[in-house]
Amino acid sequence: MRAGDRDAYADLVRRHAPMAVRTASLLGAGADAEDVVQESFVKAYAGLSSFREGAPFRPWLLQIVANETRNLHRSAGRRSARERSAWARTEPLLATAEHDDPALAALSSERRAELVRAMAGLSSTHRQVLTCRYLLDLDEAETAVVLGWPRGTVKSRLHRALRRMSGLLADPADPADPADPGRTGGRNGRADLTDGADLTDGKEVEREA
Amino acid sequence: MKPESTDDVLAAELRALGRSVPTIEPEPAGTDLAAAVLARLADVPPPSASRWQVLRHRVGSAIGRRRRILVLIVALLFGGLGVPGVRAAVIDWFTFDGVKVHLQPAPGPSTTEPSPPPTAHGGSLDRARTLVAFRPVDLPALGPPDGVEVSTDHRLLSLTWNDANGTTARLDEFDGTLDYVFAKTAPGAEWTSVAGVTALWFEQPHEVVILDAAGNRRTETARLAGHTLIWELQGTVLRLEGDFTRDQAIEIAESAELLP
Repeated sequence: MRAGDRDAYADLVRRHAPMAVRTASLLGAGADAEDVVQESFVKAYAGLSSFREGAPFRPWLLQIVANETRNLHRSAGRRSARERSAWARTEPLLATAEHDDPALAALSSERRAELVRAMAGLSSTHRQVLTCRYLLDLDEAETAVVLGWPRGTVKSRLHRALRRMSGLLADPADPADPADPGRTGGRNGRADLTDGADLTDGKEVEREA
Repeated sequence: MKPESTDDVLAAELRALGRSVPTIEPEPAGTDLAAAVLARLADVPPPSASRWQVLRHRVGSAIGRRRRILVLIVALLFGGLGVPGVRAAVIDWFTFDGVKVHLQPAPGPSTTEPSPPPTAHGGSLDRARTLVAFRPVDLPALGPPDGVEVSTDHRLLSLTWNDANGTTARLDEFDGTLDYVFAKTAPGAEWTSVAGVTALWFEQPHEVVILDAAGNRRTETARLAGHTLIWELQGTVLRLEGDFTRDQAIEIAESAELLP
């Protein structure tokens, strides 16, 4: 690397590191978030020439971060085990978040616990889309890039995820819980699973409220 | 209740949940991480010219695509070091809404002390809210402001906090889509983040000038400002000036809340 390039790339890392670490943490990297981000920046550098013309940098970087975070759980075996291990790292972050900041007083600790409990009842797909779109506050287009889904899929999953979460908040024992093997799909059970990218061991349940 | 509004409420709660997660960021502001990344890239061959051309090209297209009129020009001066072309390209690329980073020749060292921020007069936040077209932001960490002022063109909202010796803090707010221009020249500025969102911190005294819509300096507005933090909250560009350390400023900034 030439000196000027080093400085330039260091600037790029500094600018995007906080959001990248946040993304890795909330998508399940836990204490390994910084390692994941470091790896992602190395890969991003190698892939600079593959930028699509006119595409923004941040979602492209965060997509690499999301993939690296997924790779972290590869050793956890089956897909369902991987997803459980990702959530196991994210849940404590959300559950123990500080909230003595007056700006955040809108969310009581009871409500926070309810939200985290409801998120635990969602499929990994739904958790991911809610995490990107709302917890990380990415826009829809960025969410699509980061998760590698078509824009329309993001929209429909987002809609269903909110429905599902509302259902779980209203009735925590909602029988449509994907963990329940007795139910294998509601009315639109497979409607948005055609890309097959995120089937949870075939037990993914999508339900219109 | 309509389904849409239920979703909106839940979405707002999830955003609040996300914001409440403590900022997990490499300290200080990614320095170690950047060093680690560079160390790993040390043996990587220099990137081909085309890679950096892609970056430069993207700077142009990103700016062209953005229909927003730039509201704020920040001039970063890298004291006498000269600015490599690549660095210039990447810095230009690192713009956030309403903020353009401008490179200018380095000036001589400044010996002048910064002046305290000008005091805002009259007005209440409730009244100001009806006068500006964007959602104003309050800083609960500083308590209720002592002065609230809306510019005659209704584009700039300023809040100030005083103590017995004068104004101690000033918050300027404006819509990132409006044609309102601050120009700054500073001997240094650093990237940092406020609640995970990119921000710029000016440690050194720097000149602040208000530009007119055509970008001309209105020299009568020039003054030397002290420590300043610039960040953005949902489209509202915020500029906090006062006698704070960087960490204090960030802590105050993280208390920011949009008024209803």
